[in-house]
Amino acid sequence: MGVRKAKHGGILTFIFSLISILWVCPIVIVLINSFKKKSFISNEPFSIPTGKVFVGLDNYINGIEKIDFFSAFFNSLFITVGSVFVIVLCTSMCGWYITRVKNKFTSSIYYLCVFSMIVPFQMVMFTLSKIADMLKLDNPLGIILVYLGFGAGLAVFMFCGFVKSIPLEIEEAAMIDGCTPIQTYFQIVLPVLKPTCITVAILQAMWIWNDYLLPYLVLDLKKYKTIPIAIQYLKGGYGSVDMGAMMAMLILAIIPIVIFYLCCQKYIIEGVIAGAVKG
Amino acid sequence: MEKSIKKYFPIFALPTLIAFTIGFIIPFVLGVYLSFCNFTTINDAKFIGIDNYTKIFTDETFVHALWYTALFTVVSVITINVIAFAIAMLLTKGIKGTNIFRTVFFMPNLIGGIVLGYIWQLILNGVLLYFERTLTFSATYGFWGLIVLMNWQQIGYMMIIYIAGIQNVPGELIEAAKIDGATSGQILRKVTIPMVMPSITICSFLTLTNSFKLFDQNLALTAGAPSNKSQMLALNIYDTFYGRVGWEGVGQAKAVVFFIMVAIIAVIQLGATRQKEVQQ
Amino acid sequence: MKKKLVSVLLCASMISTALVGCGSSETSTTEEAATEETVAEETTEETATEETTEEAATEETAAADGEGSVYYLNFKPEQDEQWQALAATYTEETGVPVTVITAASGTYEQTLKSEIAKTEAPTLFQVNGPVGLASWKDYCYDLKDTELYSYVKSDDFVLKDGDAVSGIAYVIETYGIIYNKTLLADYCALDGAVISDASEINNFETLKAVADDIQARKDELGVAGAFTSAGMDSSSDWRFKTHLANLPIYYEYQDKGIGSTDAIEGTYLDNYKQIWDLYITDSTCAPALLSSKTGNDAAAEFATGMAVFYQNGTWEYSNITQDGLTDDDLGMLPIYIGAEGEENQGLCTGSENYWCVNKNASEADIQATLDFLTWVVTSDTGRNSLANDMGFVTPFTTFDDGYTASNPLINAADEYIAAGKTAVSWNFSSIPSETWKDNVGNALLEYAQGTGEWSAVETAFVDGWKTEYEAANQ
Repeated sequence: MGVRKAKHGGILTFIFSLISILWVCPIVIVLINSFKKKSFISNEPFSIPTGKVFVGLDNYINGIEKIDFFSAFFNSLFITVGSVFVIVLCTSMCGWYITRVKNKFTSSIYYLCVFSMIVPFQMVMFTLSKIADMLKLDNPLGIILVYLGFGAGLAVFMFCGFVKSIPLEIEEAAMIDGCTPIQTYFQIVLPVLKPTCITVAILQAMWIWNDYLLPYLVLDLKKYKTIPIAIQYLKGGYGSVDMGAMMAMLILAIIPIVIFYLCCQKYIIEGVIAGAVKG
Repeated sequence: MEKSIKKYFPIFALPTLIAFTIGFIIPFVLGVYLSFCNFTTINDAKFIGIDNYTKIFTDETFVHALWYTALFTVVSVITINVIAFAIAMLLTKGIKGTNIFRTVFFMPNLIGGIVLGYIWQLILNGVLLYFERTLTFSATYGFWGLIVLMNWQQIGYMMIIYIAGIQNVPGELIEAAKIDGATSGQILRKVTIPMVMPSITICSFLTLTNSFKLFDQNLALTAGAPSNKSQMLALNIYDTFYGRVGWEGVGQAKAVVFFIMVAIIAVIQLGATRQKEVQQ
Repeated sequence: MKKKLVSVLLCASMISTALVGCGSSETSTTEEAATEETVAEETTEETATEETTEEAATEETAAADGEGSVYYLNFKPEQDEQWQALAATYTEETGVPVTVITAASGTYEQTLKSEIAKTEAPTLFQVNGPVGLASWKDYCYDLKDTELYSYVKSDDFVLKDGDAVSGIAYVIETYGIIYNKTLLADYCALDGAVISDASEINNFETLKAVADDIQARKDELGVAGAFTSAGMDSSSDWRFKTHLANLPIYYEYQDKGIGSTDAIEGTYLDNYKQIWDLYITDSTCAPALLSSKTGNDAAAEFATGMAVFYQNGTWEYSNITQDGLTDDDLGMLPIYIGAEGEENQGLCTGSENYWCVNKNASEADIQATLDFLTWVVTSDTGRNSLANDMGFVTPFTTFDDGYTASNPLINAADEYIAAGKTAVSWNFSSIPSETWKDNVGNALLEYAQGTGEWSAVETAFVDGWKTEYEAANQ
């Protein structure tokens, strides 16, 4: 029995290994194509670049120059890190506040947040971009406020859910010991909320890093582009589609994500599970 | 305690509230108002009643996009969840390399929609080249292309949730069923699936909304070609709004209709979840 | 604890400013190379300082003293690099920041719409003709009293809204069927060739006979097809839904003696079908693949000698000479569609590029924009860039002394005129809307792939014209 089971497991492992290879194939194919001369990419995407088809790093150099990849990268990084930090800080405080202070006003905020979670972005895309423009939020710093506003719903909702499960006694004890609410929050509540913070941070980071339409409509495109915008711009911004540069930039866009993922895999997967259970 | 916290409203809740007002409440209210207006920018909006709404349903592209999106949602919800659940079942059997497989399957989820769209455009066009076809040859190719793409992206995510759900099923329960002589098919149907029902609800909800609101992937993979036939609702709204002079009001009205549909789906879903919870 | 919070916030803001600083220095180091990012260092500095309040005040006064700035939303992606360079030079010489943004192919109207609603709207934008002007006339500054207008050779090259001069054309372009002279000569040398010299092609029948024969003997000639792929990707479909569609419109207008209409009859649609059939049959690729073929694909096919004919215009010169084709290889034929008397037809010459100045911009910005334009058409650098780098034939008197663009494609246009042929005017500027073009393009593609009928093209062409015209002129 034991032997049979192991054999069975061996076959499964083998099958899954095959599927896994298949799973990363798309990325590998793009990687291979990123070293090909641009006119050979769409005609023979599955061949290995050799001879005159192989252009080394030309596509990378060309693409980086064309879309100013590094400034797009730093914009994306700044917006994502900044927004996630602000969202986690502000919404956790807000979530704690509206759970602990019970009145009509706070519960209406709560329900508004729940409501905002189901509103598709297209509903507000024009008005939001217009308001962001009027308030001069069309830069990486300003867009953080926009993300805080548009992303607040889910985050507040998740924090509220978690705060409810924290026993009041600890906080009350701290207050009796003379802590101000701010001290109580940072010394007692926030450490307890840490797992939820990680969950919220990961969910928001995945959304913001990859978001295309919101920054596209809000940011001043003359000065700032994020990676998705820069890549979409390659598609026709220069009157033609440079497939070589496109492939190279796709790879450059993927690399940081993969590195980040491999480093923080544990947190990401836990965050996703926790997010699903609570959301 | 409540009283002492209450005074700290400006520090705790105000920043979020201001951002929320700017980033959501005002745009939403204005958006609803503008859907009844004729406008090119906010300042020159003229109230025209429900004209925009009547125009929506005379617009064939919208009706087409609606059906296309609905069909896409149904197919993708089924394929993603079935495959993800199957993989999760197999990966919880304790085979070698489970962690590596899990890592690999989950990875595409972190890649953004625009990037995903272009990756798959290359690959699917490459495959179709052997049949002298392209992704944008007809809406059918675009449809299945999007399905493949969404499966690749979402299976890993859903699988993670299912694995967590399956691991929560108490081992004794399955042992007991085995002792009672249940076949593995019966165990799956009568024990495992009811026990992971919460995960199933969550996953189907997530895939449902993700598919219904799909935009980036649609834009990058086919951009609606040919003849807007592979255009989904979100893209249709965007194109109406920014692509046609004089149709901004209609675009906004479409967005309101879109929102209402999403809301209805969410409410139904929520109701179903509640019912399940009661039963348990 | 409060202190701690404050210090955290301070830290955060410091990090953020540091990062913004990083971002902007990044921009300035790569700015020479960047084709797109703003050229003006002032602008980047300004944004960096906007975030740190103390410096913002000084910066603002500097901006008030300044001359305003220019933001040009450019329509022509082919010349993006040259415009960036020109803008950089101007900023270097005068200190006035000039930003040039090029809209993605096929999205100019969309980009303009979202950009012009912003506070920092384009000060200089383009319309494509009378129809474009109708949408944007409320934004057009009257150019009548400007220096720029005084250099325009004739009022044929301006757009008028009543008495006001709303738009000024800055480039006159010509398109037709570009052909590879060497390959065509090779063909003529073959046994049993339909013609013995390129000049014999002067009507549709001959063109078709030649193309069919080349297609049949493509291996003998070493080409992949007679015509380059008629790509219907958005980077290429305008060649057919707009430029090719001009011919049936032109002939119908000629017959009726009109220049625009609220309802087109489509009397030359059969001719449109003929030429489209020719393009997709005698081609380098199967019609089913057209939907994903790009402008780049077609240009590459022509440039590498895989095809003999390529419908495009003077602006393509630099693109098709990148891969070894020389001036001697290039010629241009009129697009013959089988209309009566087409032996006397010349190339299609006109403009769909009109400069408009945004009248809602601040006065300083408007002045800066007008100064920039004057500089572009009067200074040596500007004239050199327009005429030689971009290869533009311009309607300005200032270019007459030695700044005439010259390349074989432009010369071909002159030769046809010298030979007494009638140039075909650009009537597609009277097309009622972008949606019309999109619908015709979609129908053309579906017909080509075999997933649609030709009647759909007719419907989109004739009925679509009427509905779009009504929608636009409500």
